[in-house]
Amino acid sequence: MFKLWRIAIRDLGRNKRRSALTLIAVMMGLALVIALHGFEMGAIQGAVEDNIRVQTGHVQVRGESYDKDKVSLKWEDLLEDPLGLAAQAQMLADVRAAAPVLWAGGILGTVEESVGVRVFGIDPPSEMAAPFREGLVAGEFLAPDDRSGVLISQRLANNLGLTMGDDVSLLINTSGEQPDEATFTIRGLYDTGFPSFDEATIFLPLAKAQAFTRAGERASVVVVLLHNQEDADTVAAALRAPGLDVLTWRDLNQLMLQAMESSMGMLYMFYLIVLAIVAVVVANTLLMSVFERTREMGILAALGMKGRQIMAMFIMESATLGALGVILGVLLGSLGVYYMATEGIYLGDIDIAEMVSADIAYGETMYAAFQWADTAVLSVVCWIIMLLASLYPAWFATRKEPIDALRAL
Amino acid sequence: MKVIELQDVTRVYKIGEVETRALRGVNLTIEEGEFTAIVGPSGSGKTTVLQLMGCLDRPTGGRVHIKGQDVTRLNPNKRADLRKGTIGFVFQFFALIPGLTAYENVELPLLLSGAKKAERRERVNELLEAVGISDRARHRPDQMSGGEQQRVAIARALATHPVLVLADEPTANLDTENGRQIMEIMQRLNQETGTTFIFATHDPRVITFARRTVELRDGRVAENSQHA
Repeated sequence: MFKLWRIAIRDLGRNKRRSALTLIAVMMGLALVIALHGFEMGAIQGAVEDNIRVQTGHVQVRGESYDKDKVSLKWEDLLEDPLGLAAQAQMLADVRAAAPVLWAGGILGTVEESVGVRVFGIDPPSEMAAPFREGLVAGEFLAPDDRSGVLISQRLANNLGLTMGDDVSLLINTSGEQPDEATFTIRGLYDTGFPSFDEATIFLPLAKAQAFTRAGERASVVVVLLHNQEDADTVAAALRAPGLDVLTWRDLNQLMLQAMESSMGMLYMFYLIVLAIVAVVVANTLLMSVFERTREMGILAALGMKGRQIMAMFIMESATLGALGVILGVLLGSLGVYYMATEGIYLGDIDIAEMVSADIAYGETMYAAFQWADTAVLSVVCWIIMLLASLYPAWFATRKEPIDALRAL
Repeated sequence: MKVIELQDVTRVYKIGEVETRALRGVNLTIEEGEFTAIVGPSGSGKTTVLQLMGCLDRPTGGRVHIKGQDVTRLNPNKRADLRKGTIGFVFQFFALIPGLTAYENVELPLLLSGAKKAERRERVNELLEAVGISDRARHRPDQMSGGEQQRVAIARALATHPVLVLADEPTANLDTENGRQIMEIMQRLNQETGTTFIFATHDPRVITFARRTVELRDGRVAENSQHA
């Protein structure tokens, strides 16, 4: 067996240029698949993490009848004691932070134009507000007792021609389903890096939002952040109570996860196509090698080598070439993933959320993530495909009768 | 003892609609230890006879016996097994495996027959010594002359102690001196080991080495003569 390997390896060295080109094809194909997979998985993980950080949190506690799509402000739909619930959540060991949030739909108007916005009533010092506090690009963050201040995004300000200190009018439907309007002063501008979110979201202090919407001390939701997102089910179970709907980040990001799952299906098809092309290159190389070595196979057959041994020799050639290509492909692909993980891919103004869903917070830059287990699986799959690709040429090599092969002598 | 017996052997090649009758009923017996030349003009059927004796091909008609065993209808695997242990080949164009050294080429049949490493080393060194090419053991075919390559081919043919060595025009691609040396080596090994050698040739200088000459003409044995 060892000698067969040696013959196989030396055969690869006989036509160095052809072997090198085949090696490059395997390497490039696998590297492309690994890099693309790393980027896609990184983008998915990043989008889920960003969405959790900016929008959903890890766990949300809502009233059983609350309908998020309608942004209901009816008293019966809101949480009666959000502060008590937040305090209860905060007692759990796995919980990092918990705070109430009030959501409302509104129309933000200037003298010249108006736009529909989502109003977030937040507890400004809470950890929920951290992404917006950290994303402050001008002015100051909201104070809990601010009665006339509003925080809007830099993008929205640019769109509406506003700047810090300008007054804007905000029209909302109150919990009594009566419209109300008030004027607010822009205290600060924020930028989270998620264009679709920034363009449609403004912030008020929770107390002011509750007063403005006539929600009393009620809130739409208690958002809970965890130390580890895998504990979401445990925490959700602990918070479940009659009249409450407790959702984990998986429930809250279902749309995104489904969209990504279906995009992964397409990607897997693409991976298979790339690897199939590589397999055709390998099969072609081996087939040419078989044609060139007809005479040699005749000699080996004359020496008593059986068809299956000749077949094994060609499969070993492919296995060796495949293994080398896989090693180089993993190195090159990992290098690509490393670059995209550290530098990221800047998407700029391409608003993916607009293309997918406004509920998904996509950043301006996407980062890849190393997927060691998936890389191992892809490498093994690639190698197996190389072996399968060698079966036809190897079988073809054994088809020739020794006498026919020796005629080449 | 009979090493080979051909009984009324015919061989017809069919290429498309064209049939070529290479052998038209050959009867021939080769005894153990013979040093026999199969001679005849081009197209007389020399190579075909060697291929049938070597189980590289199957006759269209008649029977082939090797050491008493009827090998006429053996399947490819059984024929491969038979070749591995019983028959050695020397070809006109040396036919060494290009990627392997002289040592490795001689070792190859031993590997295929499952010989242990120490046994292989001893046998390969002994054979390379016997054909006078020990100093070229680590050279690959492209680093050796035609004469040297043919010596390696002879060593390889004898590696598994075959009962029969078949050589097809072994000196056709060598100059006179190298051709003579190759024939002397084969002759000596035949005498020393008792291995049966059958070689096809149309070179009159080579024929003089044979103790028996079988002349083929138009696919039939035309003359069968023993020499002193």
